[in-house]
Amino acid sequence: MDETSRLLGQLDEMDGGADSRNTQKGKYMTFKSGPEYFGLEIQYVQQIIQFQSVTKIPETEDYIKGLINLRGKIVPVVDVRLRFRQGEYEYNDKTCILVINVKDNTVGLIVEQIAEVVEIKEENILPPPTIGRADKGHHKYVYGIGKVGNAVKLLLDPEKLLYDEDSSDAEQNKKIEEE
Amino acid sequence: MAGDFNTESMLDMYLFENGQLLEQLQETVLEQKDADCFDEDSINEIFRTMHTIKGSSGIMMFDNITAVSHKLEDVFFYLRESHPDNVPHVELVEHVLEVEDFISNEMEKIRNGDSADGDATDIIADLDRFLNLIKNGGAQAEGGAAPENVHEEPKHFYIAPVASAASRFYKIFIHFFPETEMANVHAYKTVYALKEIAEDILYSPEDLLTDEKCGETIIKEGFRILLQAQCSEEDVRELIGVGYDIEKVDVFECDANQFLLGFDFGDNEPAPQIDLESSVEVIEAKQEAKASEAGGAAKAEEKKPEAPKITPGDFVIQSKEPGKQKKLAKDKPKGEKAAFISVNVSKMDQLMDLIGELVISESVVLQSSDLKVPGLNLDNFNKAAAQLASISTDLQNVIMSMRMVPLTNTFQKMNRIVFDVSRKLGKDIEFVMVGDSTEVDKNIIEHISDPLMHLVRNAVDHGIESNEERAASGKTEKGKVTLSAKTEAGKVWISVEDNGTGLDREKILAKARKQGILDDNKPDAAYSDKEVYQFITLPGFSTNETVTEYSGRGVGMDVVVQNIQAIGGALEIESTPGFGSMMSLKIPLTLAIIDGIVMEVGNSSFVMETGVIKQFIRVKEDMMIHEPNGDEFVMIRGDCFPVIRLGRWYGLEKYQESVEDGVMLILEVEDRKICLLVDKLVGEQEIVVKPIPSYIKKVKGLSGCTQLGDGSIALILDAPGLVE
Repeated sequence: MDETSRLLGQLDEMDGGADSRNTQKGKYMTFKSGPEYFGLEIQYVQQIIQFQSVTKIPETEDYIKGLINLRGKIVPVVDVRLRFRQGEYEYNDKTCILVINVKDNTVGLIVEQIAEVVEIKEENILPPPTIGRADKGHHKYVYGIGKVGNAVKLLLDPEKLLYDEDSSDAEQNKKIEEE
Repeated sequence: MAGDFNTESMLDMYLFENGQLLEQLQETVLEQKDADCFDEDSINEIFRTMHTIKGSSGIMMFDNITAVSHKLEDVFFYLRESHPDNVPHVELVEHVLEVEDFISNEMEKIRNGDSADGDATDIIADLDRFLNLIKNGGAQAEGGAAPENVHEEPKHFYIAPVASAASRFYKIFIHFFPETEMANVHAYKTVYALKEIAEDILYSPEDLLTDEKCGETIIKEGFRILLQAQCSEEDVRELIGVGYDIEKVDVFECDANQFLLGFDFGDNEPAPQIDLESSVEVIEAKQEAKASEAGGAAKAEEKKPEAPKITPGDFVIQSKEPGKQKKLAKDKPKGEKAAFISVNVSKMDQLMDLIGELVISESVVLQSSDLKVPGLNLDNFNKAAAQLASISTDLQNVIMSMRMVPLTNTFQKMNRIVFDVSRKLGKDIEFVMVGDSTEVDKNIIEHISDPLMHLVRNAVDHGIESNEERAASGKTEKGKVTLSAKTEAGKVWISVEDNGTGLDREKILAKARKQGILDDNKPDAAYSDKEVYQFITLPGFSTNETVTEYSGRGVGMDVVVQNIQAIGGALEIESTPGFGSMMSLKIPLTLAIIDGIVMEVGNSSFVMETGVIKQFIRVKEDMMIHEPNGDEFVMIRGDCFPVIRLGRWYGLEKYQESVEDGVMLILEVEDRKICLLVDKLVGEQEIVVKPIPSYIKKVKGLSGCTQLGDGSIALILDAPGLVE
């Protein structure tokens, strides 16, 4: 049993993919949005794809851009910049879709630019500052600030990123589905 | 312990087999619930079923199940041996169902990994009481002809002692080594092995599993078996086997009369002492000598047409084909296994998805823009494409048919509900099933089971009047609930019909007024019957004054409607006051693939189910009627329809503003018609329906999404949602 999981872990490390927590602990996928760099724990990230055309869905929040077809699987996509209220921007060839999996929901994140995978040790993660909370409206998704050399990365809580603020909507949604 | 059983797969087998047995049992019982008594075949079948369950539960150590099935087996043993008169049939049916419920319940617990800890003492006590009752009744009727030893000496009732010409009788002694632990379990293993071939088997001591002390008895006195089977002594020896625990096995052949004498042998007959080693050699030697012959002979013997011969004793029920029955019971599961394999549903779903993808990629290829270059000679391509299309359609049909399941099981469950509820309410109700072999997609079956249950309960509870009321209103015939299913135009209709009071229009209206549902300015008469009946589907609406165990709380009908709508179906209510009512569920045959019309608005693609579209029409500007509040209507051939402009409704970009550039679709949903304005039509296509990811909150008028030929995504419009 242990042998296989170890091998799998090694494989994952070589592929740089999928989810084995041991080897991925402390690693973050970072990307640029607006002027800042954000980090997302790598265990959530499924894959990164080039931006592709999105089918809009009427009557949804503006940051929900619509649906994409990921090899037959239909995946909703969220524009991270709009989610952070950083304003609209033109998508270009650096724009990527970061496909993440949170609580069995697969969601694509449209990000301006993918940066790199960095390792951040626990002692280098600080709680977010409490002042200036309302300046850009995104601190509630940030659970910590990671120091990498001189740079800082804002570490994101993917659950809050997807569900916070409109959690009441999500609940309502669930209710409707249950009915 | 010597060997570790692989209990997991054994447990699976146990649950699976017994689950099927119980289902069969329930079917048999319900089939004959209205008769005066069970016929002989059913008694035998129930007896056998209980016996099997008892045996397997014993092995798996589920003592409570063993005990209950043992008790019911006793009852049926008595029934088939002594044919008592005056058996309260309905009570018997109830007892059987009670036992069935208990066992199902325990099995459910086991399946969920809990321990089967249900308390069976009440049921057993009930059964005891019942057994005494029928015994007394039977004794009076038959003048004590019933064998009194039945209950006290259960060793005589093992398996139907139906003997045929080919049967041979054996007396078997097994001696275990004195140091053997749990000799009773070892003995049970032997008995279990012998059951494979046994037509009848008796053994002593008989309480192998329940009485732990008998292990000592076995070691001291040996274990004695009386066996009736159609096989040779060697076969018997082989089955018993020679283990480290068995010191000595003696097998004597005897005749039927000796056999019937039971266990009082051994003293009269000098037992040839065969010690283990020599017996093994003998067996081996003999077997080598007539290996082929013996095998062939044994088989031939089994297949020999059985001449109904000595049927020992009076206590045997003369079944129509002795011997064969035993075989039938054995052959049946084998036959089923050959004809069906059970497949994991998730694999089916995967296959279904893949075929969906295949259909899509097929249209990607066939509609590829590369083919639209002028001047290409595509004759051969088109021929091949047509062939491919027909194969993929076949493939789709096959996978769809694989998912189709007859409604029989669902209907059977309803039968049970009618029985239970009508008994509790003291109503005399006949239950009729029509078209239960109608096949429906498995997904849908899962969704209609609960709604149907509600409807059936309602019909029994407040559809049908009590016996007194019926008599008072001069209704002569029995209360009757009819459950029927039929397919019509791609839909399945399932109706629950009763011949009871029907719906009370006045009562519903009064209640609706009281709840403020009605428009105060509208007189009662302005509501059509259909509208009035639909009120009962509103949440919290119940005209039943008293809440009973089954209905009257006003939840139920709204749940029914919601569940049915969730799968794209509808509920229709018809009623004739005084003569009964009929609730019909109209549901789609399948949810997974629909015929749809693809259309475009702005840069978005939408799909609408073909069935709801009545007409496509181009309209002129002067046919439009604009209301000051923004509502729009269109006059088409003298009819006026409300208009929805899809582009404006969803706030899309770059859609056709003018009605003259677009196309109107006339949609009809439940007698309501609306017009939908779209930019242009793309074509008709088979659509694989996929749900919109749950992350996105529900949008009114959209029911799902799909992938189009070019790989892009189209949203599926939900006509009922739009009409609302």
